[in-house]
Amino acid sequence: MVTAVQLLVNGLALGAAYALVALGFVLVLNATSAVNFAQGDLVMAGGLLAVALAPLLPSVLPVPGLLLLPLVLVLMAGLGLLLALVAYLPLRRRPPVSVFISTIAVGIILQNGAAVLFGPEPRVAPPLLGDGVARVAGVAVPEQSLAIMAVAALLIGTQHLVFSHTQLGRRLRATAQDPEMARACGVPVTRMILLTFAIGAACAGAAGLLLANRYFMTPTAGGDLILKAYIAVTVGGWGSVPGAVVGALLIALFEVGVSWLLSQPVAQGALYGVLLVILALRPQGLFGEAVRRRA
Amino acid sequence: MRDWLGRDWLGRDRVGAAALLVGAVGLLAYALIWASPYGLRVLTVAGVYALASFGFQIIFGLGGALSLAQGAFFGLGAYVTGILGSRYGFDASVTFPLSLLAPLLVALPVGLAVLRLDSHYFALATLGVAQVLHLLVVNLPDLTGGANGVPGVPPFALFGWSAPRGLPTAALVWGMVAVGGLIGWRVARGRLGRSLALVRDDPMAAACLGLDVGRLRLMAFALSALYAGAAGALAVHTQRVVSPEVLEFPVMVTILTIAVVGGRGRMVGALLGALLLIHLPEWFRGLERSYLIVYGVALLLVILLAPMGLTGLWTRLFPPPTHRLPAPLEPPAPPALNGERLRAEGVTKDFGGVRALDGVSLRLEAGVIVGLIGPNGSGKTTLINALSGLERLDAGQVRIDGRVMTNARPDRIARAGLARSFQAAILPDDATALAAVAAARLPLDRRVERAEAHARWALERLGVGALAGRLCHGLPAALRRRVELARALARRPSVLLLDEPAAGLTDAEKAELAALLRALAADGVALLVVEHDMEFLLPLADRVLCLDRGRTLYEGAPDGVRRDAGVIAAYLGGVGA
Repeated sequence: MVTAVQLLVNGLALGAAYALVALGFVLVLNATSAVNFAQGDLVMAGGLLAVALAPLLPSVLPVPGLLLLPLVLVLMAGLGLLLALVAYLPLRRRPPVSVFISTIAVGIILQNGAAVLFGPEPRVAPPLLGDGVARVAGVAVPEQSLAIMAVAALLIGTQHLVFSHTQLGRRLRATAQDPEMARACGVPVTRMILLTFAIGAACAGAAGLLLANRYFMTPTAGGDLILKAYIAVTVGGWGSVPGAVVGALLIALFEVGVSWLLSQPVAQGALYGVLLVILALRPQGLFGEAVRRRA
Repeated sequence: MRDWLGRDWLGRDRVGAAALLVGAVGLLAYALIWASPYGLRVLTVAGVYALASFGFQIIFGLGGALSLAQGAFFGLGAYVTGILGSRYGFDASVTFPLSLLAPLLVALPVGLAVLRLDSHYFALATLGVAQVLHLLVVNLPDLTGGANGVPGVPPFALFGWSAPRGLPTAALVWGMVAVGGLIGWRVARGRLGRSLALVRDDPMAAACLGLDVGRLRLMAFALSALYAGAAGALAVHTQRVVSPEVLEFPVMVTILTIAVVGGRGRMVGALLGALLLIHLPEWFRGLERSYLIVYGVALLLVILLAPMGLTGLWTRLFPPPTHRLPAPLEPPAPPALNGERLRAEGVTKDFGGVRALDGVSLRLEAGVIVGLIGPNGSGKTTLINALSGLERLDAGQVRIDGRVMTNARPDRIARAGLARSFQAAILPDDATALAAVAAARLPLDRRVERAEAHARWALERLGVGALAGRLCHGLPAALRRRVELARALARRPSVLLLDEPAAGLTDAEKAELAALLRALAADGVALLVVEHDMEFLLPLADRVLCLDRGRTLYEGAPDGVRRDAGVIAAYLGGVGA
């Protein structure tokens, strides 16, 4: 029983970080109907950015990770804007596969740029609050796991509030649903798309900072993370925002559970096997596809 | 340049053929005279990548499906040859075919599972294949040598002859490149390549023309896997070791960059791209490990500035001579039958909570023109989509020539003899009118030349034969409609569904269109025409069906429709219904 709770805590912490990655991916997907393949490499960039910035903070400050978070969010949002300007806006009238390739290109540049700057070794970012482990009824809960869940919940909650209750959010949603119609209604579509890329990259950066403490970060980590985000969005239903979050939690729990039962490589392989079965039997995802093709 | 059977192997592009010949001679001279042993080895690796990229051009360049498994298939082919060659001492007569077979056996089930879905799922599934293969290789050290890989792979050997390092291996690889390139080039120019390009540009239109989208993509994916496996096997014979690096993302990135920089869908592009990109790190030694950044920048710049790549630039500088037009040839007509061709009964379709079609029944007979009218949103286009297989019915039955075709795939329905037009223009911009119409014949004719001759006939029949060589992009609306109609007609359908064919035409053009449609009906085609313009439709139609909110409001003679109280109410807004 204790083991099960322990696994649940680990799975939820990992899932919270995956959820941020998938959230950024699906927001950009909805606003542009293009796949941002650089999302995984943006997570890696966020993680290594935190690693690089950490020594710059005065060492007397108590919660280095938490102080880094706003900095990483802002810088990554800037990187997201740059990504949109370079790899999306010039290609918006071309077939979606063009953006797929341009974001692959940006991902390659980020990945190998990071390898040149940081070398291939795994790096560790400072924890959000501390390295301590709380004991709750016999279950060891690392403070970092709690902090990951809290920060992810806070960011996802904020995103949800902004999208559902503000004028800006309505404009962002209108852009995602039907850019042509939104433009006709006076929504500044291009600015909304730029903003969406910034939010998506900021989500990725936050996930990078969170993951880089518990799971380390290497320049090639992005390939695995984009696959996870992609699977989460497919499982949750292509284009569904809540589906992406739930999908991310599900695959993290699956990964943690199977890793404990068998091994990490088996978990990865099994996750992919399950994905293929889902694609073959229920391609609209477990909860139905949110975007419908217009005939 | 024709061979002894009179087949035209080099095509009509004399400048391109000459450039290729000069390039080949230059490469041969370099290999024989100037190349150092190291230079020869780099050239051999470039050949290996060219071969892998040929396959990628077929699935991605022609088929438009972004496979992220080409690098993994390459690695799989490499491991099969590496393990069987070094552990068990098999020669190429065993290892080479198995290196082709293994990627094929992975590609087929994955392709069957996802190739009918939207293309982003294909990218995901193939990315997963790559990750799993890498995981397997690293975690099965007993079989694969784990992270260290398999050393001591023998050279390529066949029936006692083996290819030593240097020139023999280079000659072997480049011989394979020549054969593989020629096959790929024939595929690209032939029926398969043309069909794939159509599927890439507009899968929905391709399906409505009778092309089996899933099967075509599966064939392309299988071919790509074979090329990758062959390239992987040759790579191991060149390197003599195999390690997990062959399965890592940089291999895939290199192949993708080669294809895009060289020119998507062109075999010459793959060749050029491979020579250029594999030599790039050698020319700029300072790059060392950061050469992948240069690949990333090159990929980004080409996709932004020259999306058709280097060969695209070449074609712009030296446009190939225009196609010689084939003589028109009438395609075989379907057996002239009288009576009922299509019958739909109780057709019902819900979108969420909205019932778009509610028990609609319809009969189309040979030689009869049925007009379909109704206010906006009454379900006219939904009915055409349902009959042509683009929407699944929630209830009801559709028969074509007596065969039940309810919820069959659009390509099956098209092959059963149904053709349709779309409200929106769907002709590919960068194709000539002749090529666009010939595309409709690809599922029927065995050779492209024959399809084009039939297409020429269809264009002549609609009075636009003179447009055959013109690009579809920039055709005026009325001529575009004619070309679209020619595309539908080229297949000699027994049932033709037209969605607002007169929209945007002048009165004179409408009169010509009406005469054409009457002539088609006289030939025995069963027609359904959706139209808002009553002055055009009512004199043309033999029978009229009026829909309102998904239900049949009126069915009968065109004269009666103007006097029908229900129809008047539906159009004028409910008064006196």
